[in-house]
Amino acid sequence: MTETAVVPSATPPRASTASRRLTRGVVSVLWALAGVALAIVMWELVKWVGTLVSLPFDSGDETMPHVWTIVDAFSQPEVRGSDTTVLQAVVASAAHSLLIAAGGFVIGVSVGLLLAIIMQRFSFMERGLLPFVIASQTVPLIALAPLIVGIGNRISFGPIQWDTTYSVMFIAAYLAFFPLSVGALRGLHSPTPTSLELMRSYAATPRQMLFRLRFPSSLPYLVPALKVSAASAIIGTVVAEISTGVKGGIGRLIIEYAREASSNPAKVYVAVLGALVLGLVAAGLVTALDLYLTRNLPKEGKA
Amino acid sequence: MRGKLRALWPPILIAAIFLIAWQLLVVIQDLKPYLLPAPTLIFSTFTSSIDLMFSAAIYTGSTALMGLVFGTFIGLVLALLAQRFGIVNNLITPLAAGLAAVPIIALTPILNNMFDITSRTPRVLITTIIVFFPVFVNVTKGLIQVRPVQLELMRSMNATPRTTLRVLRVPNAIPFFFTALKIAAPLAVIAALVAEYFGGPQTGLGSRIASAAANTAYGRAWAYVVASIITGLVFYLVVVMVEKWTTPWTGRSTTA
Amino acid sequence: MSDTTAVSAKGIWKVFNEGQANEVTALQDVDLTVSQGEFISLIGPSGCGKSTLLRVIADLTDATKGELTVAGLPVHEARKQQRYGIAFQQAALFDWRTVRRNVELPLELAGWDKAKRKDRALELLEMVQLSDFADHRPWELSGGMQQRVAIARSLAVDPPLLLMDEPFGALDEMTRERMQNELLRIRLETGKSIIFVTHSIPEAVYLSDRVVVMSPRPGRITDIIDVRLGNRNEDTRESEAFFEAVTAVREALRGRTGSAGSSVRARVGEV
Repeated sequence: MTETAVVPSATPPRASTASRRLTRGVVSVLWALAGVALAIVMWELVKWVGTLVSLPFDSGDETMPHVWTIVDAFSQPEVRGSDTTVLQAVVASAAHSLLIAAGGFVIGVSVGLLLAIIMQRFSFMERGLLPFVIASQTVPLIALAPLIVGIGNRISFGPIQWDTTYSVMFIAAYLAFFPLSVGALRGLHSPTPTSLELMRSYAATPRQMLFRLRFPSSLPYLVPALKVSAASAIIGTVVAEISTGVKGGIGRLIIEYAREASSNPAKVYVAVLGALVLGLVAAGLVTALDLYLTRNLPKEGKA
Repeated sequence: MRGKLRALWPPILIAAIFLIAWQLLVVIQDLKPYLLPAPTLIFSTFTSSIDLMFSAAIYTGSTALMGLVFGTFIGLVLALLAQRFGIVNNLITPLAAGLAAVPIIALTPILNNMFDITSRTPRVLITTIIVFFPVFVNVTKGLIQVRPVQLELMRSMNATPRTTLRVLRVPNAIPFFFTALKIAAPLAVIAALVAEYFGGPQTGLGSRIASAAANTAYGRAWAYVVASIITGLVFYLVVVMVEKWTTPWTGRSTTA
Repeated sequence: MSDTTAVSAKGIWKVFNEGQANEVTALQDVDLTVSQGEFISLIGPSGCGKSTLLRVIADLTDATKGELTVAGLPVHEARKQQRYGIAFQQAALFDWRTVRRNVELPLELAGWDKAKRKDRALELLEMVQLSDFADHRPWELSGGMQQRVAIARSLAVDPPLLLMDEPFGALDEMTRERMQNELLRIRLETGKSIIFVTHSIPEAVYLSDRVVVMSPRPGRITDIIDVRLGNRNEDTRESEAFFEAVTAVREALRGRTGSAGSSVRARVGEV
């Protein structure tokens, strides 16, 4: 059986792009649902196999509750006698974490962008700073979270007392600034020599060059960088919350529910699912932002 | 040689300025170590317990290495399947995109419950999962994104899909593989380290940082942080060296 | 003894997206016969189907209708038996192979053993005058040199037919003219049939025995012009006969037919 015929270079016109993208979107959602269904089936399968054969890990109902037990736990009261259900508690704390992550994201993106602009403008700064920008990511800041919190709690800017929450936001910002800085720098460097010469022939000031040429042409680089930054901000927030135990966010909830695993194993799963959904929501928000930013740009040709 | 020196002095200069400013800040403001230790203190703590640093680094490093190897292996196998069978690609790639913002490390408490308390399997598993995604996504891209004119060339030579895989797709994917590895290797170290915060054997870098911080021995904590940075850098540099050695053609301007 | 026809195309149609709103007729009822040892150019504006026709002949895409043989075989068989070599506008060399190993590629796929492959590759590189670069990497070569390697590769299994899709399109004028001379020299040495797609009228006239003029919407052959310039040399491009031939092709492209007094131009419609 030979390969299917290769599309010749003189390609025929394609169907309307809007309807194509809609079908593609629907198809990928269906695939995602299929993936979820597959995961649920695998989960129960592993548990079932665990009843027949001795597995290297504990697959009993205390550690790996059945899927329906977990779903059941959504509607249980969070604490005995409390009004809020587990689901409500998880959603509330996830929203709290999302806000912190958003704050960290905004700060990180702003700093990253500023650094990129400086590095592009002054090549000395680029040569001097870029290695550190890169090296900054080898510092496992998340691992330093307890230290950051320790330092943070002793600082105060006048009337504003530093809260552990700010430490978490700082960590999120630290993780978010790097991808954006690198991506923005590449984007700012991306205009072709011809475009630069054109601007120079108009006697454009560096400021005009920046706003009218470099920024617009850096969009294709900023868009994927924003995705990575957002992801880093979320991950940084949740992990920092876990390692510092700061109240209000979903990280704390995961720790608490993990401690109660012996009495109610399903709760920690609900919390972890909450963190998962948080990540998905953030990814979705950034994708929406990206679609908005690139609404006027030519779309990629690849199917 | 001259070019290299010219490239090196700005970062070295800035590093020197940064360290000096730090030291001066600590001395002038008389900052206590629990707030911000001086570089000199960190350095002396580091050198005086170098053997402890080293053994902790080996422990965490080996966890990271195991996760890196398993994650890369699974990523490569699935990438080959994804290129050959579209259904595999359609299932996993959107999953990878969706999970990009998900703190996978949050699964650690669950895994810790499932396994024995003295086992380091949960950490290796988490690291494996974290490493898998960038490797899978990038290698799949490298295998699939060959230029149409190259596919036409292969077809004109009556090449089977298997031959095309061997002769065109795999060599094309190698730079993509190294891109993934340069992300995944330091990430594996960080994952292995942070996973140690959730309990289990306490001999690694992460556990030591946490316990040092809890005991307010901040000089020691920062010294372990320096050890972590070095470990991460070593992983990254090894990947870079392997890349340069096996693929001299990367980074050049590509041919027509 | 095989037939002296290199390519025989009868009633070839190629329709994309048949039955849909964006249906396009890339080739309409194309008839073409290429004799063994002939040099044919396909020329025409964008969308006239010249590249599509080349790809149909190369079995890189299927014709919707019509009969087509290459070296007396159905196109599928011809490709399987490697009865043609192909060169594209992009050299499409593999960055991870040396120049020599790039030329060896078709031989590897055809199962030749290592020593024979190496000898043949060096022989071919000698023919395109790039022996000194055998162990270089593709990116170290200029655009013209890369195309020469691509041409050497297309000759590897010594096929009777060469298909070329604007191989010199990305080169500057001086390099182009040099490459054209190279190609003619190779052809003289090897006696191969060549089907050559181009945008350039002087190039088509300089290289070919016949120039096939095509036009778009739908893609079809409108004229076939005999070029009788004899052996090409450095004065050919400046000769009167060359100019007349170029004019004839240009007018055919414009759609003006039957202009009187042109001794070079003969309109032959193949049926």
